[in-house]
Amino acid sequence: MAAVAVGNGAFQEEEGTGGDAAAPQPHAPTSAPGARLSRLPLARVKALVKADPDVTLAGQEAIFILARAAELFVETIAKDAYCCAQQGKRKTLQRRDLDNAIEAVDEFAFLEGTLD
Amino acid sequence: MAERPEDLNLPNAVITRIIKEALPDGVSISKEARSAISRAASVFVLYATSCANNFAMKGKRKTLNASDVLSAMEEMEFQRFVTPLKEALEAYRREQKGKKEASEQKKKDKDKKTDSEEQDKSRDEDNDEDEERLEEEEQNEEEEVDN
Repeated sequence: MAAVAVGNGAFQEEEGTGGDAAAPQPHAPTSAPGARLSRLPLARVKALVKADPDVTLAGQEAIFILARAAELFVETIAKDAYCCAQQGKRKTLQRRDLDNAIEAVDEFAFLEGTLD
Repeated sequence: MAERPEDLNLPNAVITRIIKEALPDGVSISKEARSAISRAASVFVLYATSCANNFAMKGKRKTLNASDVLSAMEEMEFQRFVTPLKEALEAYRREQKGKKEASEQKKKDKDKKTDSEEQDKSRDEDNDEDEERLEEEEQNEEEEVDN
């Protein structure tokens, strides 16, 4: 199978670059082993989707894309928040960096008032 | 279960890992910031779902599909996600097709074996070759995820 190069480490078992100490593994997937295309468990994403009363059904592909989009979103907002922390010459991202990013970036406007 | 949608969090370990990989080495994140990002991700999914659902309803469909979600991304001004998402979708479809064919193959083998065990010993070898022919493009059936 061709390797999936989506710009991030899709192989959960082989991460040596992260350097985080003994991060507990999330639930083992019931799907195929090896290359995983999304790290967020689809079951949790599905639960979020079903929480919307207007949604009747959602196809598996839709759930998968939402999971992947959520990952991209996390990466994006983390990086944007980091820019704020960098300006303060700090090496730890704080909550206020996140708030600043939300205020500064138009796409994050939907988050205003939701994180409190 | 009186859970608010915002309480449906995504696993902390995964969120943390995604954040750490997005940031340069040596940068860490406070607990509050991490849990806020986790909640933001949940809100994002809810918002995207709602947007996608609008597109589905416009198309008079009751099932959210992948293109609804992609349209929602554009609507939400996350166009930059669209290309990587399309690539991921391609890869996902290939994986799903491979899995489907593998399980269908297993089923075929099982049926054949129950029919006549002796004659099929040589046919098993042929079946192995068949499994490698994953290149035919078939129309994907949408598997509905229902309540």
